Amino acid sequence: MSNKVVGESVPKIDAATKVRGQRKFPQDFNMEGQLYAKVVWSEYPHARVLKIDISPAEALPGVVAVLTSKDVPVNEYGINIMDQPMLVGEGKKVRWLGDRIAIVIAESEKIAQEACQRVRVEYEPLPVVSDPREAMKPDAPLIHEERGDSNILKHIKIRKGDIEKGFAKADVVIESYYFTPHVEHAYMQPEAGVGYIDEQGRVTVIAAAQWSHDDLHQISHMLDLPLDGVREIVPAIGGAFGGREDMYIQHLLALCAYCVRRPVKMVFDREESIRNTGKRHPYYMKYRTGATRDGKLTAVEIELISDAGAYASTSVAVLSNSASFAAGPYIVPNAKVDAYTVYTNNAVTMAMRGFGSTQPPVAYETQMNKLAEALGMDPVELRMKNLLEDGSIALTGNPMPKGVGIKETLRQAALASGWREEGGHWIKPDLGTPSAPYRRRGIGVACGYKNVGYSFGFDDKTGAVVELAFDESGEIVRALVKVGASEVGEGSHTALAQIAAEALGIDYAKVRVALVDTSVVPDAGSSSASRHVYISGNAVMRACQEALHKREAALRDETGEKHVVGKYEYHGRSVRPTTPYDPETGMCDPHISYGYAAQIALVEVDVETGETEVLEVWAAQDVGKAINPGMVKGQAGGGVHMGLGYALTEEFIQKEGLVKTRRFSEYHIPTTADMPHELETIIVEVPDPTGPFGAKGVGEMTTLPTAPAILSAIHDAVGVWIDNLPATAEKVWRAMQSKS
Amino acid sequence: MPTLKMILNGQEVTIDVEPGDLLANVLRDKLGLIGTKISCGEGECGACTVLVDGRAVDSCIYPALKAQGREVITIEGLGQDNRLDAIQQAFVDRTAPQCGYCIPGMVISAKALLDENPHPTRKEIKEGISGNLCRCTGYYQIIGAIELACERLAERGGPE
Amino acid sequence: MWDEYLFPASVEEALEMLEAHGGEARIIAGGTDLVLQSQRGQCTARVMIDITRIPGLDHIEERDGLIYIGAQVTHSQVATSPLIRSRAGVLAEACGSVGGPQIRNVGTLVGNVVNALPAADGAIALFALDAEAEVAERAGRRWTPVAALYAGVGLCTVDPCAAMITQLRFRALGEGEAGAFERLAKRRALVLPILNTAAVVRLQGDKVERARIAIGPVAPTPFVATEAAEALVGQPPDEAFVAEAAKLAAQAAQPRDSLLRGSAEYRKAMVEVLVRRALWRAVLQEGEDANS
Repeated sequence: MSNKVVGESVPKIDAATKVRGQRKFPQDFNMEGQLYAKVVWSEYPHARVLKIDISPAEALPGVVAVLTSKDVPVNEYGINIMDQPMLVGEGKKVRWLGDRIAIVIAESEKIAQEACQRVRVEYEPLPVVSDPREAMKPDAPLIHEERGDSNILKHIKIRKGDIEKGFAKADVVIESYYFTPHVEHAYMQPEAGVGYIDEQGRVTVIAAAQWSHDDLHQISHMLDLPLDGVREIVPAIGGAFGGREDMYIQHLLALCAYCVRRPVKMVFDREESIRNTGKRHPYYMKYRTGATRDGKLTAVEIELISDAGAYASTSVAVLSNSASFAAGPYIVPNAKVDAYTVYTNNAVTMAMRGFGSTQPPVAYETQMNKLAEALGMDPVELRMKNLLEDGSIALTGNPMPKGVGIKETLRQAALASGWREEGGHWIKPDLGTPSAPYRRRGIGVACGYKNVGYSFGFDDKTGAVVELAFDESGEIVRALVKVGASEVGEGSHTALAQIAAEALGIDYAKVRVALVDTSVVPDAGSSSASRHVYISGNAVMRACQEALHKREAALRDETGEKHVVGKYEYHGRSVRPTTPYDPETGMCDPHISYGYAAQIALVEVDVETGETEVLEVWAAQDVGKAINPGMVKGQAGGGVHMGLGYALTEEFIQKEGLVKTRRFSEYHIPTTADMPHELETIIVEVPDPTGPFGAKGVGEMTTLPTAPAILSAIHDAVGVWIDNLPATAEKVWRAMQSKS
Repeated sequence: MPTLKMILNGQEVTIDVEPGDLLANVLRDKLGLIGTKISCGEGECGACTVLVDGRAVDSCIYPALKAQGREVITIEGLGQDNRLDAIQQAFVDRTAPQCGYCIPGMVISAKALLDENPHPTRKEIKEGISGNLCRCTGYYQIIGAIELACERLAERGGPE
Repeated sequence: MWDEYLFPASVEEALEMLEAHGGEARIIAGGTDLVLQSQRGQCTARVMIDITRIPGLDHIEERDGLIYIGAQVTHSQVATSPLIRSRAGVLAEACGSVGGPQIRNVGTLVGNVVNALPAADGAIALFALDAEAEVAERAGRRWTPVAALYAGVGLCTVDPCAAMITQLRFRALGEGEAGAFERLAKRRALVLPILNTAAVVRLQGDKVERARIAIGPVAPTPFVATEAAEALVGQPPDEAFVAEAAKLAAQAAQPRDSLLRGSAEYRKAMVEVLVRRALWRAVLQEGEDANS
């Protein structure tokens, strides 16, 4: 049987239905007799709710119910910490614009909308805390009085070596302050779905979710129902990027169905999706980096302050990641890191592509580029002297596991973009002539790395079931993979089908992947941490092997069975147990596996307007093994898109907790015209021996180096460092003005 | 309630609409054509793109009654029976769709472009889909798919 | 949203409908702005009178040296019209930079004027072309300068509940004349400008005979930099004089600090850059035309 499918760019499993417009997304579901719900959102970022009068709304013909906090059995939820109220009742506080006062359920969406306007709410406005650095101060107004006497949600410390000695050895020390802003996930499909009671009496939700099984835990807690009294079905998801790891509509739909016992549909408009859901954490980052004259890093001192917004979400886990990656993929013998995440009245911040590994590269890579400049050394060469290798001791004191591909990744990116290696030195390419006399060209390089799978002792596991149907000769006619992995568009179902086909030695076309329905598929963890190919792929591969054994047994024993089921629950700790931070030193073995990326950006900067145009990006990533190269390239394109938006165009503006960029006409994700004219994707395959076929992860690493590479290219072009994202034309212009 | 009569995907359709209805809602809610997506609701992303008399329009801000007597083509109108049309097939072959939410609008914009200009340059392709936002792909494989569709159509000697 | 949607068969019928609904009706063409305004409660008209089926409003034509553009003509049609590209390239450039293809396919140039936003790309070019609009009222039709239609941000002196603009006209650029449009925005497509400018110059021999520069959004209405334009007249079209004129334009422009568009200081400085580039490109184009 020669059915090699791993490594092939086979068509995605659902591509044909997607190009036909047949694949159903949550807003495409309608049920007999369904009602429509709309939310009454908080009007203040911080206030006490004095009085809620729903009677004018209830009086409107067509209104079926107006739900308030009194209707919620257990009024709390949250993915890591249950600090979020489902609905805010009288006497309680709203802490951001995404808090909800009531849900109106009506015969039509229009009536629901109108009724929302009629709900009268009296507030007592409270002081708004919108800067985490202010919120950290002892006299700052408290966001969560019940959670202690500080807004600081978490402080992580890393103490490695002796930074005094380290800085004493340094010939050059670079010190800078960086800021990265909120980022809107901006998935194209706004939150939507249907809640109903299924034929077995379960409260059921059809919605886009990155981790349906975790939603179940939260919903069952909120409704005080047993776990098997709730159910979630995940159809096509219109993008997620971390933004659907928390619940933003699932629990609302569940509550509606629970209360009115009829199907209820709810669709957020774009404004609700931007104003009232979570974002990527803004980071304030203070860096001091020391190196010797010959380019060896000696010490780093880092302070990270992240804005957690009004509720914890996964802020602590995001911060934990950031701290562990704070020094970049480099060997740094002496380090001191203090990382804080702090409650404010800003938008809740949560998982977003990189999960805390996206912000630090803006700082650590710009530090490297500044160091290179100060040392008069080529930036590729400086990195080559310090990059991690197999067994290198990482920032958290652990040896790096086998498969560290960052050097090879950078080498390939550099060579592709025209860098030359001569006599042990790296030499930057000639950049050609700018397209106009008032434009300057520049090139910049950056690296990034990130964990694959859950970290710090969290049990990362996926359950997989593989059902085989075979004929009398034993030939497999069909394989069905059941795994609770949400397909968010990245292609997890396709990759898992490819892994299954390869493991089973059958044609890819014979593999089906079951729809994610918590009543059918086992928990596979979330579609995050670039983990499904690695963790769930391992689970599927082993479930396939299990199924093959059973088939063999059935054939050998001539039982006449034509159907077998293989099951496997794969735990990441089986190959690599991780550990939490030591509270004092921060030493630990944080992550199971890692993925690596390096990118080079060629830009032109308009010296008169400050505008940056990215001409080309060379994006290299070490994915261990590309299960589907076409999909890897797709991830690179998307990663560069988000990285470019981060660097140049995306500005989420909040003032005193109020959102000023509420629409796509105000929050600007890159269009085709903004993207680099060319993107060259370079797939590097340094295998991780613990991954399926050597695979690591892909999805997040592709976005990490883009912004710092662009910042470095801007500097190369016009000589200014932009340490505060995004590098808008005005910022670049100002920097040039103050320089001249 | 006014009646809207249009040629929808080659078939004459007559349906009662509210005067304030927008074409996207009529297509999705009244005619069940869910391939037309709503994303921004303000004509800023192109997810709802359909053809009206051959021109790409944002149906989420297009008054339904404007389509009176016009020829409307949605994503459901492309391809025949079970066969994908050349653009759709190229999108599949170039791994263009990721989440797929923008894809019907992208395919329709690509069709509008190629119907008018069968041999676009890469720049013209980029311009042709500059009214369609995508958050997943960075557009490269979508552009590649449109180029592939052009090549195939040229080999075949024109659009189907 | 509105609760009646009507298709008049003639301009006269449209005006009758407006009158019959006594201020509750208004004209709609492409509707790309109006639909949103209606959804957001900024437009409360109950009746929409759609003029896109009226015969005789879809023209782009030249008569006696004047170019006429009917009220149904979309941005796409203007941007791709061979006549406009060759005889009023500045307008084609401006219309081609509005929104994305889908918006340009539906939104009309006249609608761009009626909307009266100081950032409107098409209108900025019309200002530079010294365009006029034909206003149809019950009392009859009259021509009025486009510049006279603007009363403030979003305020058009033509009451869309009582009158309509049926067409625009301006003098086709002739020998010795050229124009150019420049724009600065937060991204490169599908976005409103933070600044735009259109410039038209006429050369006579080796001197500038006439210049006109329009800039948006640096005031409640599109801004015409008269002083800057006049400073060019009689001068040779070289870089120094163009730069000087651009400086004068920037001095006269009064942009405001804007959270979304950028600081006044930056945008004022950018007025100089964009005006200089637009003027210089117009001058160079004229040179090219003359050489070809």
